[in-house]
Amino acid sequence: MKEKSNTQKLKLGIFVIAGLVLFIIGVYLIGNQQSMFGSTIRLYASFQNINGLKTGNNVRFSGLTIGTVKSIDMLNDSMLIVGMAIDKSSATHIHKGATAAIGTDGLVGNMIINIIAGKNQTTTVEEGDTLTSFRKLNTDEMLSTLNVTNENAALLTADLLKITRAINAGQGPFATLINDKAAAADISQALQNFRQTSYAALKIMQHTDQLVLSLNDSKGLVGLAKDSTTSNHIRNVAANLDKTSNNLNVAVKDLQLTINEIRNGKGTLNYLVNDTSLAIKVDTTMGKLDMTLDQLHEAGIKLNENLEALKHNFLFRGYFKKLEKEKAKVTGNR
Amino acid sequence: MKSILIEIGELSYFAGRFFREAFKRPFEYREFLRQCYNMGNRSFLLVGITGFIIGLVFTLQSRPTLQEFGAVSWMPSMVGISIIREIGPIITALICAGRIGSGIGAELGSMRVTEQIDAMDVSGTNPFKYLVVTRILATTLMLPILVVLSDAIALYGSYLVENLKGDVSFQLYFNEVFGSLEFGDVVPSTIKSFFFGFAIGLVGCFKGYTCGKGTEGVGRAANAAVVYTSMVLFILDFLAVLVSDIFYDL
Amino acid sequence: METTQTSKAVITIRNLYKRFGDNAVLNGFNMDLYEGENLVIMGKSGSGKSVMIKCLIGLEEHDSGSINVMGQNIDDLDADQLDELRTEIGFLFQGSALYDSMSVRENLEFPLRRHTKKFGRIHDAEPLVLEALESVGLAKAIDLMPDELSGGMKRRIALARTLILKPSIILYDEPTTGLDPITSKEIVQLMQKVQELYKTSSIIITHDVDCARAIANRMILLIDGKNYAEGSFETLQNNMDPKIQAFFK
Repeated sequence: MKEKSNTQKLKLGIFVIAGLVLFIIGVYLIGNQQSMFGSTIRLYASFQNINGLKTGNNVRFSGLTIGTVKSIDMLNDSMLIVGMAIDKSSATHIHKGATAAIGTDGLVGNMIINIIAGKNQTTTVEEGDTLTSFRKLNTDEMLSTLNVTNENAALLTADLLKITRAINAGQGPFATLINDKAAAADISQALQNFRQTSYAALKIMQHTDQLVLSLNDSKGLVGLAKDSTTSNHIRNVAANLDKTSNNLNVAVKDLQLTINEIRNGKGTLNYLVNDTSLAIKVDTTMGKLDMTLDQLHEAGIKLNENLEALKHNFLFRGYFKKLEKEKAKVTGNR
Repeated sequence: MKSILIEIGELSYFAGRFFREAFKRPFEYREFLRQCYNMGNRSFLLVGITGFIIGLVFTLQSRPTLQEFGAVSWMPSMVGISIIREIGPIITALICAGRIGSGIGAELGSMRVTEQIDAMDVSGTNPFKYLVVTRILATTLMLPILVVLSDAIALYGSYLVENLKGDVSFQLYFNEVFGSLEFGDVVPSTIKSFFFGFAIGLVGCFKGYTCGKGTEGVGRAANAAVVYTSMVLFILDFLAVLVSDIFYDL
Repeated sequence: METTQTSKAVITIRNLYKRFGDNAVLNGFNMDLYEGENLVIMGKSGSGKSVMIKCLIGLEEHDSGSINVMGQNIDDLDADQLDELRTEIGFLFQGSALYDSMSVRENLEFPLRRHTKKFGRIHDAEPLVLEALESVGLAKAIDLMPDELSGGMKRRIALARTLILKPSIILYDEPTTGLDPITSKEIVQLMQKVQELYKTSSIIITHDVDCARAIANRMILLIDGKNYAEGSFETLQNNMDPKIQAFFK
């Protein structure tokens, strides 16, 4: 009888101890996860909004769980102090410049505190230190921002759609620029004219140069200078020429600017798309350019006429003959 | 209705008598240990097998649903929390209500009917202390241990399924389980287990001790012990959830 | 009657009333038990015999009346005093009431666990257990469990358990019910032997006429909760009252 009851007691003892040991292991493991045992230090961080953080939530440093939230105290209406128990050995790696941010563990998981290493890497944190807090966007805010972005994108695409439709339908100056072949031809024509004119202008310059040189060299210069009609004439020609080249200069600059702007696309696209007045401006510039070129052309013709008239003046006749001879010589030499 | 109220009143009186007698000397150590052995060790196999199967089935059943969400990695924490918080304690308690509660009801009932309880009284042993106090204390202390063992076995069963289906290592599985658990899960369920044990012992003893005459009375006592105990267990469980929720909020 | 008795009363019951709900079980019962006698109380089933002796030993509370056991009014006793008194009173239960979960030895040791005042603390109960078992002739059954015993053996073991405290009064509740006539006779002989050996005073509750005839020094007929008639077995057997005659048919 005694032996039987002793084995019973032994078995009962084993049973009870097995249960208790399992329970203690379980409690220890849970406590370990919550860093309830082992030495910890207390750090603090203040937040305006803790987004539902609770005591017992994890604290992570570089993604590693190093402690738990121990206390949450309301300081005033816009300041909450969160106390964290941090594993002592992990705390040696946290520096004073570290920031604390509240985040979520996964998209719908628990709230956690993330400690992010800061720039100040000199001194490690100590018991009771308060970390600077960083308000990270939470999912809500993120979603609302994303919403605004989405709305903008929707508006943008709607506008873009309008524009492309308008362009395809052939409205607006840009469309004209793109679609109107005549305008393109005009521009190309204008440029060609311009080239011609400038070539003509160049020629005139050369002529004038030669003329002036020959005048300087020529013995009959005095006589020529004495002839007031002729000198007036020449003065007129020079003045005209000056004016024309000035005009030409302005026109070229204008054109250059416009072309540059178009090439750089610095808001020009926008202007072209939205600003009809600019388009008109471009148009008028083109018109002016055309006009200028025409004038230039005219001036060139007039100059030619003047020079022709000058040729026929008896004073210059000899000069021009000599010029023709030289020219013939040159061509003959070739 | 009136009879239910009378029953509750008698049960309360019985519980009050338990507390009065429990703190009076002498304490029946030997009988207490014997009952602990009977209730603890002898229930272990049954409770263990049930726990194992519960862990197995629970995991097999919930796995496909979680898989649909792509949340199989949450399996250990989900199983852990539900077993530790609820399933472990209540299943173990119900099994023990069936095994221990009916056993107590039948044993004390037949002792009452065959005048063994009277004989004890005459022999100078307070039968309430000898039979009731030891049994209630034994169930109260043994049930939490059974729950812990059953929890452990259920989790192991669940781990086996996870390991076969999802190739999860033992360490990872239990890390996940204990990582998701908090003291807020363990403490209430442990306290709850004590109350469950107390309820099983109390109702079983009450039904047996106040058993009616004849063999029919014994049968009725055993049956009523199980039925009432199960009912009381669910009520207690509900109360426990309410109370622990309140404390969880604090 | 009292004039014929020279010895003093160990139990005195006066005007005992007990009712269960509407059922009045005892209606002013009076009884005296004198030292050294075997008093047989006969009555029909449900006439309150068992209730009466349970009141006597404090297992049931009576509604009114007085019970005086060995000079002590049991109403005045607290639980400890009642326990002490109970060491002087042996009780043989109807169904033997052996503890099923214990062996014969443990069954016999059980009363010794608490009733320590009478013997002091008992370190080795073995001699007492064996002595009691030998007095009922069942020393060999010491390590058996109750479910291994026959009905007659159980009854004897139960008697041994009663005797182990060496009581001065033994209350027998239907000692022969459920037993065959031969076994009954054996039990009755055993009771007589115990009476001689331990010099006990006994109250025997029975409706077994053979048993009553064999053992009774005096009889009380309990009818409707009252002591209807009192006298020796022969006196009552020769009484022509039909209610009394009903017992002896």
